[in-house]
Amino acid sequence: MAVGQRTPEDASAPAQGWGLNTWDSPWLNFKFLLGAGIVLLILLFGLVGPFFWDTDLAYTGAGPLNKPPVWAEGGLPEHPLGTESNGRDMLAQLILATPSSLKVGFLAAIIGMGIGMALGSVAGYVGGWWDHVIRTLSDSAVTIPALVVLVVIASYVQMTDTTAMALILALFAWPGPTRLVRSQVLTLRERSYVRMAHLSGASALEIMFVEMLPNMLPWLAASLTGGISAAILGATGLEVLGLGPTRVPSLGLIINQATTNAALVRGLVWWWLPPIIILMIIFVGFFLMTIGLDEIANPRIRQFSSTRRERTAAGELPPVEPIEDGTAGEEEAALEVDDLHVHYFTPRGEVIAANGVDFSVRKGEILGLVGESGCGKTTVAMAILQVVQPPGRIVQGAVRIEDRDLVSLSGRELRQVRWRDLALVPQGAMNSLNPVTPIREQMADAILAHENIGRVELEQRILNLLNDVGLPERVIDMFPHELSGGMKQRVCIAMSIALNPQVIIADEPTSALDVVVQRVVAQTLLEVKERLGVSMVMIGHDMGLQAQLVDRIAVMYAGNLVEVAPVESAFAGPLHPYTQLLIESIPSIRERKPLNVTEGLTHDLRDPPPGCIFQFRCKHVERICRERRPELVEREDDHLVACWLYEPERHALIELEEA
Amino acid sequence: MRGLTKEYVLQRFLMYLLTIWLGSTLIFVIPRLAPGDPVSEMVGRLSLDAGYIENADKLIASWKARFGLDAPIHVQYFRYWGNVFRLNFGYSLSHFPTEAWSMVSRALPWSLGLLTVSTVLSFSIGVTVGSLMGWRRTPRWLQMILPSSLAFTAIPYFMFGIMLIYLVAFELDWLPATGAYSRRVDPGWNLPFIKNMLSHAILPVVSIVLTSMGGWALGMRGLMISVNNEDYFLLAQVKGLSPARIFFRYGVRNAILPALTALALGLGGLISGSILVEFIFAYPGTGYTLYQAIISQDYTVTQAIANLIILVTATSVFLLDLLYPFIDPRITYKRTMR
Ligand code: SF4
Repeated sequence: MAVGQRTPEDASAPAQGWGLNTWDSPWLNFKFLLGAGIVLLILLFGLVGPFFWDTDLAYTGAGPLNKPPVWAEGGLPEHPLGTESNGRDMLAQLILATPSSLKVGFLAAIIGMGIGMALGSVAGYVGGWWDHVIRTLSDSAVTIPALVVLVVIASYVQMTDTTAMALILALFAWPGPTRLVRSQVLTLRERSYVRMAHLSGASALEIMFVEMLPNMLPWLAASLTGGISAAILGATGLEVLGLGPTRVPSLGLIINQATTNAALVRGLVWWWLPPIIILMIIFVGFFLMTIGLDEIANPRIRQFSSTRRERTAAGELPPVEPIEDGTAGEEEAALEVDDLHVHYFTPRGEVIAANGVDFSVRKGEILGLVGESGCGKTTVAMAILQVVQPPGRIVQGAVRIEDRDLVSLSGRELRQVRWRDLALVPQGAMNSLNPVTPIREQMADAILAHENIGRVELEQRILNLLNDVGLPERVIDMFPHELSGGMKQRVCIAMSIALNPQVIIADEPTSALDVVVQRVVAQTLLEVKERLGVSMVMIGHDMGLQAQLVDRIAVMYAGNLVEVAPVESAFAGPLHPYTQLLIESIPSIRERKPLNVTEGLTHDLRDPPPGCIFQFRCKHVERICRERRPELVEREDDHLVACWLYEPERHALIELEEA
Repeated sequence: MRGLTKEYVLQRFLMYLLTIWLGSTLIFVIPRLAPGDPVSEMVGRLSLDAGYIENADKLIASWKARFGLDAPIHVQYFRYWGNVFRLNFGYSLSHFPTEAWSMVSRALPWSLGLLTVSTVLSFSIGVTVGSLMGWRRTPRWLQMILPSSLAFTAIPYFMFGIMLIYLVAFELDWLPATGAYSRRVDPGWNLPFIKNMLSHAILPVVSIVLTSMGGWALGMRGLMISVNNEDYFLLAQVKGLSPARIFFRYGVRNAILPALTALALGLGGLISGSILVEFIFAYPGTGYTLYQAIISQDYTVTQAIANLIILVTATSVFLLDLLYPFIDPRITYKRTMR
């Protein structure tokens, strides 16, 4: 799931930041806290109750029969919630029954969780035969209808107290946690920090408790709260059927006595309703905790809800300010990106992912957009395609194809332009094809969304396209998982040229492929481009590859374009200090390697410094660099750069300002 | 490579057998691990009621012999298995000349009907609601009202059932409270009977559907949100497909797979819950019969029903398992790779 790269790194990685800032902690989830509060209140009712009310009244003959609550006609103040047909005081019964119902649930769920953690971590960690046995057992145990077995067991075994009941319930409380822990261990085992710990010689137990447990915590907690309410439900079920311990008061037992004494027909509402209400409050409490914990465990759900809330709070989105076409269009431009600003509205502030990005792609050329990961190049690609994912938004700017501004198009108009004029070769073709539909369908729906053609013609078109990228015809009926990475990427290329678009955005088309396949895919792209005369934006971080493929290169740093130049002059005479750094870092043009200049970003994307964004890493930084942002200006023939070094008047400028 | 492969079917079938074995064995073993045995217990209770029973020891011994409880435990276990396989559970203790199996088979259609209808309804409503809740393009007014369908999610079916009986059947007197049909109609394929039967089924079905659909909805919502973030979902947008097509072919189509798995896993819980619903509504299905068998200490019927329910659940899970590869071609592919 290569999703992370869509949002700037620091905005999408909250998982590590847990608990660093107490007020920002995801545990402060409203639903979780509300649920926990509810459960605590109920617990308090049971624990504190005996000090305020005489619980001996809970036994037969303690008072008059069938008295309604005190507020109803005939109610007695000695029995505020009334009495039932055996003269037992309802309030006293409830006070005694509530903690015992909760106790059963907690006990059973905790035992189940313990077993689950042991089995699950053995299965996930040791693997092999153990894993097989444990997984098979828990998978099948989870489908057994627990209550049926419980009912049968309870009919043989006289349960005298709640502990016996909890032990029997625990028989069904372990498969859930086992499955969860196993899958968590399997996932976490692949994480780099766990691998590191492993390499550095930490023991399995140490890794389990130090590295893995904290990461599993929200999941475990959700499973525990879910397990507690399931166990309470199972216990209550048995009690309602009259199969629980009969000497200990419990909420289910009260319901059982009420129903078997026809309390419903006799209108003794105060007999059957209060235990149901308490149970419902308990279940609602645990349910809220569980879904709250789910949100804590799964940031995506959290993010989804929060962007939704934000949007409703802010009302309609403000319209993006249209830009007067100042440059009147470079001649022969296939695609123009005009002063594009994209911000991510994260809970921790506004991340500026693209800041006034301005370039155009000429007809028939390949423009390379390069920069380190997190520099905003993918954001720019997504903004061109109008698919910036919330919480990101284009706040300003225009993207023009044939003088139509995509940013201001309506949904329907945009759909028409998409793919017909502007196609995408996605990053990570691994995940860009729908895993459950055959290639035929995925290529067909792109074509059929824009053209009305018959089946025979459609099939021929698809076969021709596959041919064009050098794939055998049988691929048409295959599923993505049956293809290799390179084949998938070529399917994506074939798909992108299906409608003969003006512009193709190729988002790191060769990353994640091995070197030989990379070459084949790159070759395919070039061929396609030559034959169709399509314009392309090639996004990447591989300077060597760029050097071989593109006509012009645009270098991005921290959301800003710093240099745009023909590829020859960019490599022969890079102007911007950052571009120089990038090029120095390539050992040789032949040997392709990803950028490794990174000392990483040196400023917070939420709060860029005034002046040049590269100032913290620049060797040539001067005073003006810290105060005023350099504009992207043409300094040599067709060679634009945003750097004060090439402004002869810079000293005069700053003095002028001071005056 | 696609669809059902031999390995897959075989593996699922073994799983199926394992589930039945596990459930039935639990039912067999745990009562025997406990101190005392059913017969002594029963005689003990009888003597409590009657005050004193002559020759209680002889009675216990003869009953034990009758039920084969005097044989060594492994012999009992094999006999038990033979019975489970032949669906032969002996005679009912409380309705003596009747065979346990025939009592069970009389109850089964009611339960199957109730459960099938309510499961299909709650799953399909829940999945629809959840898909819409997890989709970014759902109209805002719909987004506002959909969560209200989760209102009863946390409440156990039977509690909701009790409240429905009280409100709808007793206070408002709109629908019958208990049973599957009234005595005044003749069972058979005639309109009055069918109408009567349906009116009896409404409350049990409603209490299951309203309380269980929220769970499916929440699960589906989470799955849709994940799919929303998948690369293929994004590519579908970039292709200029219509929102409806993206929603169905790229959203629901992909998110429904894990939801179906959840359905298979949740079936046991659903059946457990419906036992209580049948009890509350005195609905003459297997759950209610099970309850009655237990209070009349009819061990043969108890075992028959419990085994049957385990069998039916496992069979449904097995059938769902066989369905997956047709929806998700990856499932069997991975198996063949291993
Ligand atoms: S403007 Fe100044 S700080 Fe920025 S790159 Fe040029 S010389 Fe360096």
